[in-house]
Amino acid sequence: MGPRVSFTKPVGVPGALLVVSAVTLGIVTLLVVPRSNLGFTTHAGASPAAALADFAAGLGLVGAGLAAWLLRPGSGSGLLMVSLAGLAWFAADWVGWEGGPPIARSVAMAVAPFYLAFVVHLVMASPGGRLRSRRQRLAAGAVYAAAAIVSVGRALIRDPFLDPYCWSNCRDNVFLVSAQPGIARALDLMWILVSLIVGLLVAALAIRYLIYATPTARRTMSPILVPAVLLGLAIAAHALALLRQPLESPQDAVFSAIFQVGAWAAAALAVGVGLVVVRSWRARVTLARLASDLGEAPTPGSLGPVLARATGDPSLIVVYPLPVSGRHVDASGTTVDLPTAGVGRAVTPIVRNDTEVALVVHDAAAVDSEQLRMQIGAAARLAVENERLQAEVLAQLNDLRASRARVVQVGDAERRRLERNLHDGAQQHVLALSYDLRLARVGAESAGSPELTALLTSAEAEAQTAIDDLRELAHGIYPAVLTEAGIGPALWTLADSAPLPVELGGLPDDRFPEAVERTAFVVASEAIDAASHLGSTHVEVRMIRDDDRLVLEVKGAGPGPFVHLADRVGALEGQFTAEAGLIRAEIPCA
Amino acid sequence: MRIVVAEDVMLTREGIVRLLRDAGFEVVGQAEDLDGLMRSVVLDRPEAVVVDIRMPPTHTDEGLVAAQQIRTQHPDVGVLVLSQHVEPSYAMRLIQDHPERVGYLLKERVFDAAILVDALRRIADGECVIDPTIVSRLLGRQRREDPLSALTKREREVLALVAEGLSNQAVASRLFITERTVEAHTKQIFEKLGLDVDPTSNRRILAVLAFLRSPVP
Repeated sequence: MGPRVSFTKPVGVPGALLVVSAVTLGIVTLLVVPRSNLGFTTHAGASPAAALADFAAGLGLVGAGLAAWLLRPGSGSGLLMVSLAGLAWFAADWVGWEGGPPIARSVAMAVAPFYLAFVVHLVMASPGGRLRSRRQRLAAGAVYAAAAIVSVGRALIRDPFLDPYCWSNCRDNVFLVSAQPGIARALDLMWILVSLIVGLLVAALAIRYLIYATPTARRTMSPILVPAVLLGLAIAAHALALLRQPLESPQDAVFSAIFQVGAWAAAALAVGVGLVVVRSWRARVTLARLASDLGEAPTPGSLGPVLARATGDPSLIVVYPLPVSGRHVDASGTTVDLPTAGVGRAVTPIVRNDTEVALVVHDAAAVDSEQLRMQIGAAARLAVENERLQAEVLAQLNDLRASRARVVQVGDAERRRLERNLHDGAQQHVLALSYDLRLARVGAESAGSPELTALLTSAEAEAQTAIDDLRELAHGIYPAVLTEAGIGPALWTLADSAPLPVELGGLPDDRFPEAVERTAFVVASEAIDAASHLGSTHVEVRMIRDDDRLVLEVKGAGPGPFVHLADRVGALEGQFTAEAGLIRAEIPCA
Repeated sequence: MRIVVAEDVMLTREGIVRLLRDAGFEVVGQAEDLDGLMRSVVLDRPEAVVVDIRMPPTHTDEGLVAAQQIRTQHPDVGVLVLSQHVEPSYAMRLIQDHPERVGYLLKERVFDAAILVDALRRIADGECVIDPTIVSRLLGRQRREDPLSALTKREREVLALVAEGLSNQAVASRLFITERTVEAHTKQIFEKLGLDVDPTSNRRILAVLAFLRSPVP
């Protein structure tokens, strides 16, 4: 086993207290409140179904929030909002506790409005637990501020007894300083409007996100966002119902239905948060285990795929910046373009000693950058380092290969151009010259000038020699038959004019890429030359196509050295071997 | 004889045209590329064409392509391909399908009026013409066990002329011997080399060239 990695932060005394008190509160609410009334002051008391929905929502939110908070170290306080939302949810029950202590009902009345703020905060901060943009922070802040105004305002000036629309608590407010029924009513109306707008906004934003997110992000977020849509609509519907009928009653079918929909939506939201938290916790455990495994026996090239599996993001890749060129390459040394911002892709740098040693390119929503950075930075250091070094070397190798192949190709293209130029230029001119000389010689003969005739005859012979030489030169530079008819006919021609017997066998009729044919031809040609200098009696040239390689064997030549040939074959990523009596070249030709 | 000349280099084309006219041929058309040649063959109704092997559009083997098309579509029209390449593969490809009324000569050869006239006459008579340089290259090919060593000096001379495409009658007049003697020689040669071809048929040239090129007899 690798080093032990802690997945949770120490809970500590405040954390433990919070857990205990939250659970206790839930149980007390469960036992005490619904029995205290006849179903007129709380929804939970109105019917067993409503009670079930009420507790599913409240306890679900408290539980999911605590689980998230405990399982996700360093992911911000946003997830605690879930728990607070659960507590605020229960506040409505405490407000309606007929016969309960006035202080409890008064406090609950002040707490209740914050439920809306906690829900908005929770949905906007998913899945990472942090509000990501300034706009989000502003929006959440505004809802908190509105909740605070309503909470404090109601506490100070609302006398429930004077409220014509009171239903859950028409008696107790221990904080009352001065009863102002008109202003209290205005506060209520403002809060109804805020709820309406916020509810619709939450639903709209959640729907928008679900539509435009990447598939991976949608998969990750839908357990939270789908309930959020429903919850937002329920909140808005409740506000609308209050505008229509200011006196709420748990016995009213419309209010009861809206309450139950909202409660089950909140419960589903809690389950969604729990799902997301557990999923990311499992990813983190895998990641940490992987990190310690990689720390022990890192295989270069394995980091990317293993990370992709561990995080559940199949699109994840690990790339390495090259020091000089500034390019990025993957583990195999192949150049990779980094994604442009704003297409749902994120780039998480792995930094060591203030230098970026690697970049993880992943789905922005599916993988938490912070988490990834921490895990990889700590434990997978050796793997990253190994893989980075190998990627650098491979990238250099790739560059070198490409440049070798280019050098060979450029050389060949230049030779072909030269041959074409010779053919269309010098060869034609010497032909014309030879023709003119012939005409001149015929003229001199009929004019009866023996000296001139002799001179022109000799000039004609010179011109013919030049024609022959030019022809050999052009053929040597680049045999036209190689381009026009392929390696087979070119080897036949080579054998026709070779200085020693050349036996050809198994020549394929196929055509191959130009560089392949040219290379095979050069190998055969130089091997035959070498054999002739060596004094061999004959050579045998065999060529076979073996799947995606062209194999050329020359028996009777060798052992070299043939550095030039090895280079040429190597430039095409082929194999060249030269032993005494056998030269063999394998050239990839697919 | 009505001739069409196809050659993309103007200098050379004009030289060939002048030479043909001086030798008494009637040049009825000139072309610079494959398409122009094929049009001219239809419109100008030549008895033979003289065509450069390398022409636009691809500058590779247009002459051989033209020969193939002309021999198929206009069997009466002879084709003389001019080339810079001492390339037996090209010569053999030329005579492969239609071993009559075709010729393959190195370009400088045509500036010798006698050779040009002789070649066109032979093509008009239905024979083949293969450049002697190509034949001598094949005859001079290095071999481990040279089957040609079984031939007498005279038989080798006859073989070379047969490979150049000459008829028995032409061989006879070239070597100052009777046609009957040439017939006897060819029969003997084909037996010695184990060539399973009628020594009087017009496919014999192909058999001889292929034999000269074969890897190990």
